[in-house]
Amino acid sequence: MTVPSEHMLILAAGLFAIGVAGFLLRRNLIVVLMSIELILNAANLSFLAASRMHSLASPGGVVDVQGPTFAIFVIVIAAVEAAVGLALVIALYRNKQSVSINEASELKH
Amino acid sequence: MANFLFYVMAAATTVAALGVVLAKNPIASILSLLAAFFGLATIYLLAGFQFIAAAQILVYAGAIMVLFLFVIMLLNLGDERTLHPLELSMFRGRRLAMVLAVAAALFIVAILAIAKQGVRPVSSAMPDHGFDDVNLLAEAMFGRYLLPFEAVSLLLLATAVAVVVLAKRDRRPRIDPDRELANAARAEAARAAVNETEKVLS
Repeated sequence: MTVPSEHMLILAAGLFAIGVAGFLLRRNLIVVLMSIELILNAANLSFLAASRMHSLASPGGVVDVQGPTFAIFVIVIAAVEAAVGLALVIALYRNKQSVSINEASELKH
Repeated sequence: MANFLFYVMAAATTVAALGVVLAKNPIASILSLLAAFFGLATIYLLAGFQFIAAAQILVYAGAIMVLFLFVIMLLNLGDERTLHPLELSMFRGRRLAMVLAVAAALFIVAILAIAKQGVRPVSSAMPDHGFDDVNLLAEAMFGRYLLPFEAVSLLLLATAVAVVVLAKRDRRPRIDPDRELANAARAEAARAAVNETEKVLS
């Protein structure tokens, strides 16, 4: 593939913007968590694009694996976030019979 | 060919991501998210990250998706009554305009930063083992990044414990004030009846 890495970065920026819009717009807690997953995926994509850029620019074609290493860490963090977030959703549903974030407003006042 | 496939998959991933945000039914959202993850895995593969593509499929499409779907099915969220009226009216009004402005501003700033750096053309030279050779990856992860690796494993352990504690059903008996009052009244009545009987007997 000879697509420049910058185009991968543009795709990552688009995914990030869509994720932020969903995070701010939606009121369903589960969809908010999905938007966070989108944001983390955009971060992953930009890690990999930067790594590819770096490896291609290095003299002698030395592969640098810092980007993929951090991408793996991000994948683990995403799994952790999903597990804790969904446990919180279940706890909220047990108390309020709803997953709307409008219901969880006790700390607001 | 690979270039063309990249742009097709990029467009498909963007559409799927929009579907996550715009779908009204959470099941439709989750299936859109699944499509986005597969699109991203294809892009990783095309860009020369074979191992990350495999990990993406295994962890995201395999584990995280199942977790989301399980919770949605468990809570029966396709149901209409869980759809808040505000949820249905989210595509109108000032909040929508503000959110779109924030998202567009983020996107434009990112595009400007990328454009300032300039696009460097790529020759087709790709290393034999891709850009994430597992041997190099293992050397990095268990060598230079050993401390973060151990920290992440501790985080996973803490998460397992936290999720069990959070999602566990509360076993303590609930104190219901109405039932307490009713019980007290019933005990009082029984005591009065006993007193009455004793008085009659004596």
